[in-house]
Amino acid sequence: MSTDARASLPRAPLGADADAHATPPSDGGEGGEQAPPAAKPRGILASIGRTGLDGLGGVRDLYSIFVRTLYYVFRGRRAKGALAEQMYAIGNKSLFFVTFTMGCIGMIMVYQATMQTKKVVPELSLVGASYMQLVVRDFAASIGAMMLATRVGAGIAAEIGSMVVTEQVDALRMCAADPVDYLVVPRFLASLVMTVALLVWAGVVMFSTGMLTGYVVYDIELATFANPVMVNAGDVVVGLAKCVAYGAAIPIVSAHSGLTTFGGSEGVGWATTRAVVNSSLAVIVLNFFISTAGLMAFPPVK
Amino acid sequence: MTAATRPRVVPQPKDARGTSALGDLGMSVPPPGERPGAAAPRRWTNLPAAMGAALLNVATHVGGIGILAGRLFTRLLPLPSRRFRPALDVEVLMKSLHAAGNRSLPIVALTAIFVGGIMVVQATPLVQRYGATSIVGWGAGYAILREIGPILIALMFNGRVGANNTAELGTMVVTEQIDALRTLAIDPLGYLALPRCVAMVAMLFGLTIIGDIIALVGASLAAGPLLGVGTSSFWNGLLAMLDEWDLMVGLIKSIVFGVVIALSSTYFGLKTSGGAPGVGRAVNASVVASAAGIFALDFLSTFALG
Amino acid sequence: MIRTVGLGKSFGQPVLRGLDLVVPKGTLYGLIGPGASGKSVVLKLLAGLVRPDVGQIFIEGQDTTKMGELALQKVRAGIGFQFQNNALFDYLNVGDNIAFPLRRLTSAGADEIRQRVAERLARVSLPGFEPRMPGGLSGGQRKRVGIARATITQSPLVLFDEPAAGLDPVTSRKIFDLIRDEQRATGATAVVVSSDLDNLLATVDRVGMILRGALVFDGTPDEARAATSPAVRQFVHGLTEGPL
Repeated sequence: MSTDARASLPRAPLGADADAHATPPSDGGEGGEQAPPAAKPRGILASIGRTGLDGLGGVRDLYSIFVRTLYYVFRGRRAKGALAEQMYAIGNKSLFFVTFTMGCIGMIMVYQATMQTKKVVPELSLVGASYMQLVVRDFAASIGAMMLATRVGAGIAAEIGSMVVTEQVDALRMCAADPVDYLVVPRFLASLVMTVALLVWAGVVMFSTGMLTGYVVYDIELATFANPVMVNAGDVVVGLAKCVAYGAAIPIVSAHSGLTTFGGSEGVGWATTRAVVNSSLAVIVLNFFISTAGLMAFPPVK
Repeated sequence: MTAATRPRVVPQPKDARGTSALGDLGMSVPPPGERPGAAAPRRWTNLPAAMGAALLNVATHVGGIGILAGRLFTRLLPLPSRRFRPALDVEVLMKSLHAAGNRSLPIVALTAIFVGGIMVVQATPLVQRYGATSIVGWGAGYAILREIGPILIALMFNGRVGANNTAELGTMVVTEQIDALRTLAIDPLGYLALPRCVAMVAMLFGLTIIGDIIALVGASLAAGPLLGVGTSSFWNGLLAMLDEWDLMVGLIKSIVFGVVIALSSTYFGLKTSGGAPGVGRAVNASVVASAAGIFALDFLSTFALG
Repeated sequence: MIRTVGLGKSFGQPVLRGLDLVVPKGTLYGLIGPGASGKSVVLKLLAGLVRPDVGQIFIEGQDTTKMGELALQKVRAGIGFQFQNNALFDYLNVGDNIAFPLRRLTSAGADEIRQRVAERLARVSLPGFEPRMPGGLSGGQRKRVGIARATITQSPLVLFDEPAAGLDPVTSRKIFDLIRDEQRATGATAVVVSSDLDNLLATVDRVGMILRGALVFDGTPDEARAATSPAVRQFVHGLTEGPL
């Protein structure tokens, strides 16, 4: 019930960034606590507060899409080839982008970090081991997922949003094809598999370029650098948990932006914008919570 | 709304970038190649060809962005033909500044506070292993000011303001508003693109300053409960070991990133074609290109700025 | 038979305020009205794509407004819908677009599907267009593919949203003839929303006019032409002076 009504309703965009263009001046119930209904809340605090309230409404909708997606993962009917096609679109087509950006960031990080380490400890033998722990525990998954949020999130929202404004989603519903089943589920499954694969690859790329930078700039032997001594099971579990969480969150957040598109071509543009921002934000927030939980579950050895 | 329902007009010879007629000429033209080949067969044997095509594609866009940069730059120059004034519409500039700052401030603030916390959470195992609590402020400050702050804020700004710029310009292209400006002898680059670009660069610079501060506050707040590092020793460590240059490097980077986002989002917006789906594809291409550009230039500027 | 009772819907501002519409079984019904009077919304409400704020919709005696999404899917399976902008799936070719409802809603075999798609395309004068992509078609061709898709399951209820908008007079005449022949052949109930009054009035059995969110006229095309109500008279005859 929730999305079918919304797909065709011109209402304020959900999610963390209510857009000044699309939101009617009086934001009804959601912004009601902050301002008299006639006046738009002004000022930084009000706008942060409104963002927060919109965010809460958005989280509720996201939860509903997520539950329906899980339902259809087990109960839905899959169109032939849809999953493979999405895996190609999400995975293979992001490979170059992810490799390039993660390669760059790997070089930058080792260059900067080693320069700073030198100021405190002259001995560089543990730079590689610490770097590997950070890559496994966080960097590969989180920075890579920011990239995927941009690349994959925008793609999903643009596609689904275009289908909404050209009434293709309505046409699907006329043929007993629930958009969540027909559009979201293949993207969700494909993203789950491909995100994990891409983020593992991102870690490999990131570590390799960092290792090369250490060798070329600071003369750290490759064998010294590639030292897995500090990586323990807890780091691997936390890293993989992040991969899975991001892989699930990005398609759900972006599909939600796409399905709530309204209006013509501006609407598609806004939906895509929203998808990038909200899925990046989802990555950052999830990172904070999973990292903290990981720290409690696997306390660092002293 | 789309080309199909618009009243048909006789195709007029137009500007080379005539954008609206694409849908209407469909009858004689084979299916447009821009369709992202959903069902087309793909062969691994074509890999070298595909890589070559991808490279050419990237080169085309980089070249196009370069040309756009040149054309925008000439509009900033005081030329005799414009009575020695830049072709910058001040009213639009003020609106763009307001829109860019207003839209992205909440998202930047939210990002920054979490990023500050994450930095400390990630550093915890390392710091505890070496017992190096005295340098937490310095480490977090260095990473935030020089690297993580500018990059993450630029990425969020790219998603929010850059994508929005592409969407707005793209919509104006597909709804023929750009053509309408031309028929009124208004230069779309000077009137629309330039103020937005200037606003984006200025606002990303300002937001990076704000974001840096918020992230540092977030880090100092997280350092207490997680590491037992008090707020004052956090800030002492930070101030003792960092200098203005660390701040400057981050701010110079934010200007570079602002230029990247402004140019790439404007370029892809003006290149939009093909109705609502075209706008979606343009936004997608724009955010991806900006992100790649941000990392490439971060790499270069890190080494250039030492 | 289709019946709506006191149907109300607002999108920020009210679009429909208490619409009572009756479409007898097996009729070809035309729905007219000035721009933004809510005609397209009525079709989406009938198909259950939009939920009304108040009022009831009875399709063959069943109240669809009280149904859940799954029950609605069954009702929708018996409805063909031609969308205003055609809503062709742009990642599928013409043949797969038309076959889509058959594949999703029936258990027809591959041969039967191919045969019925070919017959449909011949019916809309686009024989052999199966492998073409929608992006490469002209506006009129896309409309005809949309009509072929809406009618392929031979549903007992078919809804047409502006089947002739933006087309030249000859093509729109042909499309209206096609809709009528189709409806006569299957005995389906059909509702057509169109701004092409001449063709519409020459084609349909009954016509209803919506004004400010309510039904202000319901009768045969001849009655519509002879209507005395000033608003209906002005709209049907295209006069510039009057209450509109």
